[in-house]
Amino acid sequence: MIWRFGLSDSTFEPLISAHWALGVALAAPLLLGLMGAVLPPKRAWPVALGYLPVLVSGVALLCTFEQSGLMRWQWELAGVGVSLRLNGLGVLLLLTTQWIGFAAALYTPGLLRLGETEPLSRWLWPLMGGLLSALSLIWLATDLLTLYVALELMGLAAVGMLILSGKPAALLAGMRYLLLALVGSLAYLLGVALVLGQWGRLDLQGLAEMVEPGPVAWISAALMGAGLALKAALFPLHGWLSPVHGSAWTPVSALHAALVIKASLFLLLQLWSILLTDSFYAPHIIALLGALAIVWGGVLAWRTDSLKTLVASSTVAQLGYLMVVFPLLLSPDISPLSRALAWDGFWLQLIGHAFAKAAMFMAAGNLMLATGEATLKGLAGTSRRMPLSLLVLGIAAVTLMGLPPSAGFTAKWLLLDAMVKSQQWWAIAALLIGSLLTAAYVFRLFRYSFYESAPRHHYQPLAPGMDLIALTLALAAFALGLLAHFPLTLLHEGGA
Amino acid sequence: MIASFDATETVLALCLTGISLVCLYDRHLVRACCFFVAFALTMTTAWWHIGASWLAVVEFLLGALMTGLSLFYALGLFLPRGASPLIRDTFVDVWPRKVARVFLVLGWLVMLGAVIRFAIPGLFNAPLEQPLLLAGIMMIASGLGAFALHRHLVRRLLAFNILGSGVFMVLVGVAGPTATAQALISVGLCIAWLGSMLAALLIQQLVYLAGADSMRGDGDLGERAR
Repeated sequence: MIWRFGLSDSTFEPLISAHWALGVALAAPLLLGLMGAVLPPKRAWPVALGYLPVLVSGVALLCTFEQSGLMRWQWELAGVGVSLRLNGLGVLLLLTTQWIGFAAALYTPGLLRLGETEPLSRWLWPLMGGLLSALSLIWLATDLLTLYVALELMGLAAVGMLILSGKPAALLAGMRYLLLALVGSLAYLLGVALVLGQWGRLDLQGLAEMVEPGPVAWISAALMGAGLALKAALFPLHGWLSPVHGSAWTPVSALHAALVIKASLFLLLQLWSILLTDSFYAPHIIALLGALAIVWGGVLAWRTDSLKTLVASSTVAQLGYLMVVFPLLLSPDISPLSRALAWDGFWLQLIGHAFAKAAMFMAAGNLMLATGEATLKGLAGTSRRMPLSLLVLGIAAVTLMGLPPSAGFTAKWLLLDAMVKSQQWWAIAALLIGSLLTAAYVFRLFRYSFYESAPRHHYQPLAPGMDLIALTLALAAFALGLLAHFPLTLLHEGGA
Repeated sequence: MIASFDATETVLALCLTGISLVCLYDRHLVRACCFFVAFALTMTTAWWHIGASWLAVVEFLLGALMTGLSLFYALGLFLPRGASPLIRDTFVDVWPRKVARVFLVLGWLVMLGAVIRFAIPGLFNAPLEQPLLLAGIMMIASGLGAFALHRHLVRRLLAFNILGSGVFMVLVGVAGPTATAQALISVGLCIAWLGSMLAALLIQQLVYLAGADSMRGDGDLGERAR
């Protein structure tokens, strides 16, 4: 498992151009965000123009990775080591982050122009930039100190973004999220403390060689796991998720559901694959909780009246799919073939869900903005008036349900293959029930949209491009299934 | 065991434990925040005593000064609105919820005990040799307890800060005051300060928008406001 995360020595030293690309990828979002606070962009084109270096840096890192394989950076500052690595998975997640961040940033000016002018709206830009920088750092960092810094920056920026709408409900939910996230990070820090006390180092590569299974490894894995599970909204610690999304701005919700919770999950898997090398029970407990999450999240989304709660609860269920895969990735009694299939399926599901969920939040946000209602019943009549937003919702839902040829289908196919090969029948059952429940809540949503009985109310016209951005994201999730070859090749080059 | 008995450390550890308990369980919020500043100053002395001078500086600036100011801002002491509505925590919970929370805390304490038993065997065998480590664990235990038991948002914020200090103490206790440990703790202090500041802004805004009753912090108000 460790080589898959690229925790091995690199063949080549990074080139000068790679240094520059890395610097731009990590720092540019934050700097652009600060610039956005000083001069808030009113249109989408300055955002696109300003964001261009970030996209170029991502492509440049992809090209250097294709040429020279795994790359490592290490610095020593006043006795404290900082280390980064760029492997196939890192490139893939970095590109995902940059493009979804791009979509969210492009979406924002239109939204701010249409909504009532909020005094706090200019703060959205630095927070969004800081969030993207912190996320990029999480995908690349390989020592526990840098990961801690990045995780905390991400958490604080996420809280700040979610409360910007300024309604009492948002503030209260944000306060709860803030306190829980801070306590979660203390649990993580306590785990780091035990690791540091026992092995005296924090770089993941060195730890991977030194760690021996034992009570210290288990307890620190449990502490870090608890903290990260709280931040990732893994069932049963998901209670804070729906209220937080309830009154947040659309691009913020999209970024949060697509990327922020995934970062904690990524970290959880990476740390556990180092600390829990031969544990049978821990991944199985996660998988059991995941199966419950699929059912519980699905039922919540099925029963709710609020559009945003539906989308947020569906995140809980979709995270359940990823949790169910944990035994295949971490348990010692799994054959290499099943593990390789599960590895591919896990990341494809994660990335596909990131694109689809971002698209879904944007489409839902468009519908809510246009109708001025936040409930499912308020959707009545939208099938005729807003067919494009509904189409986006539908395409995103195809990925969530796992119908061919979307990324969700390819990922689930790989996962089912791995589960059949390792005879995890109950996991297969959970996967199938989850798909049925997803279909149930998605079709319930569409049923409301086809009602024609609604009183004619005013439809707010959307800014140009708001639907197109959501559509592009949804189509990207779709295309990831058809062109799964590209991400899977990158994933296989993980440690090479 | 007598030979390694350090009087200063023991006094510091007793002070830390005592002040943190008062700070956590005092219902008078201004007094509790004053005690928190005293607590942070004691932490500064403790860092100084174990030779982590950099940490002492950071703790004084961020822990005592900035976090203290954030807490007093949260209580509304700097606003010209007259008497702040946040003077006492008057919320009383019904019994079943209290009992549930007590069980939650007991569960946490059992887990904490297991951590000490297996992960820090030195402390388990000779608990009095490292009084500051013991104080750190006491702070974690009481902080967690307060975080679970209290509803008032200011008191939960205080509990988080004490809990954080306990974690930092344990970190230095198990890893020694190395450069890496000090870097970790400095980052932790920065985050705690930023988090407290954000929370203080949120609390003031909530009190302004929804009144002191919103400090109860449960979902009812959120539902009503929506």
